Amino acid sequence: MADLSIDLAGIKSPNPFWLASAPPTNTGYQVQRAFEAGWGGAVWKTLGEPVINTSSRFAAVHFNGQRVAGFNNIELITDRPLEVNLKEIYETKKRFPNHAIIASLMVEPKQEKWHEIVKRVEAVGVDGLELNFGCPHGMAERGMGAASGQQPDLVQAQTTWVKEVATTPVIVKLTPNITDITVVARHAVKGGADAISLINTINSLAGVDIHSWNTIPNVGGQGAHGGYCGPAVKPIALSMVAECARDRGVGVPISGIGGISTWQDVVEFMLMGSTGIQVCTAVMHHGFRIVEEMIDGLNNYLDDKGLASVTELIGKSVPKYSNWGDLDLNYKVVARINEDNCINCNKCHIACEDASHQCIDMLTNAEGKAILQVREEDCVGCNLCSIVCPADGAIDMVALDSGVAPMTWNQRNQVISGLNGSYSEAEVV
Amino acid sequence: MSAFDEFDQERQAIDTLLEQGYQVISIAEDLDGARVTFAPGGPGQSPVELLLLTADARKHVTTVVFAGSKPAAPIETGI
Repeated sequence: MADLSIDLAGIKSPNPFWLASAPPTNTGYQVQRAFEAGWGGAVWKTLGEPVINTSSRFAAVHFNGQRVAGFNNIELITDRPLEVNLKEIYETKKRFPNHAIIASLMVEPKQEKWHEIVKRVEAVGVDGLELNFGCPHGMAERGMGAASGQQPDLVQAQTTWVKEVATTPVIVKLTPNITDITVVARHAVKGGADAISLINTINSLAGVDIHSWNTIPNVGGQGAHGGYCGPAVKPIALSMVAECARDRGVGVPISGIGGISTWQDVVEFMLMGSTGIQVCTAVMHHGFRIVEEMIDGLNNYLDDKGLASVTELIGKSVPKYSNWGDLDLNYKVVARINEDNCINCNKCHIACEDASHQCIDMLTNAEGKAILQVREEDCVGCNLCSIVCPADGAIDMVALDSGVAPMTWNQRNQVISGLNGSYSEAEVV
Repeated sequence: MSAFDEFDQERQAIDTLLEQGYQVISIAEDLDGARVTFAPGGPGQSPVELLLLTADARKHVTTVVFAGSKPAAPIETGI
């Protein structure tokens, strides 16, 4: 059995599975039950002011029979007084001294406000702080959350104020509702952040009721943008984690968040640079005990890979994440259809005819059987046929050895500019 | 004609010129294609310009230059 413990910027945890700051971490009762179930850490639901409730607050996007493919909320931060939360944090930490408790914080962008809350929260024994610069609604309208997180200078200033008094590691949580998340990440680091966490929720409107014409959700017939999360956002989160992980100006540990539901998701986020991960929506959908399967799955995976520690995964795929301009233009894959597994549904043919390069022919073989065959010379290796194919093993994407030397887009442009004596295209990064 | 056949025709034209000793000396790309200028490789040859339309032929010609040599020294083309 591998060692699952992690150390994220000095915050130690028995495993990389943390609950994100959200409804599942609203009370000591919940966090203690989560720790009993196996979670290694919890980011306590954001403490701050003001304390306000809204009703209703959640909505979900179901897709093709899968419930909660995406999740939307217009909920705010904790709905309970600071002292109540601090008392429960203290009790929880006392009962679970080896588990990580991180307090998520959000106050107005004023130095004295940050100093006050940091001192009061650290006094009860938290292991670290997470600055909520990501909440996209409610608090953003009051200049907090994403409203701060979308201004790199404000992120840097507030992180600096926190670091002036903090004695525990400071994680800055980033909003994805920005053009380039690495800009904000670098400013957080300039402010002294010990780590970053990402992503917070994405601006969203879950839907519109086509009968009542109300938004989903709505509050008495009025709607507002919410924060989107759940499995649907995972690719966006993973990309942003990767961008931060490979940015030398960031260079601090990452706590990965965004649609993580399975142990495989955890592995992906860690390979792409996360030291640990945080989960919310999957717990809201399935409960705390999903962590049992996540722990078992991760353990088995590490054993299969011959890895002694989960930390050996961290960042291993980051060097494989590059710029488009550095990809090999001469690499070629083609589709091959395996007649033994093909069910002749023709989905690949239709997809190729209507949306790709018209290179899958419907033929009849010598035995009079209808078959589908790829004209490999015309195949551009787009993967669409294998994506739409419902039969496992029916289509393989096969790499061809063209015998041609690798050449990237940027190298190609250097060749042209070298010939012409001037740059004809901007370098792609 | 299949996309491959279109490419193959353009590739053959490129390769034939190279086999005859021509050298690529400029590639100008615009909305109409890539205009590739070949300088003569020997006596009796005249400069040649090919307009390449297919994506793969444009890639092929740059790959040949990239893999095969450094950019050619300035040559009097007479164009």
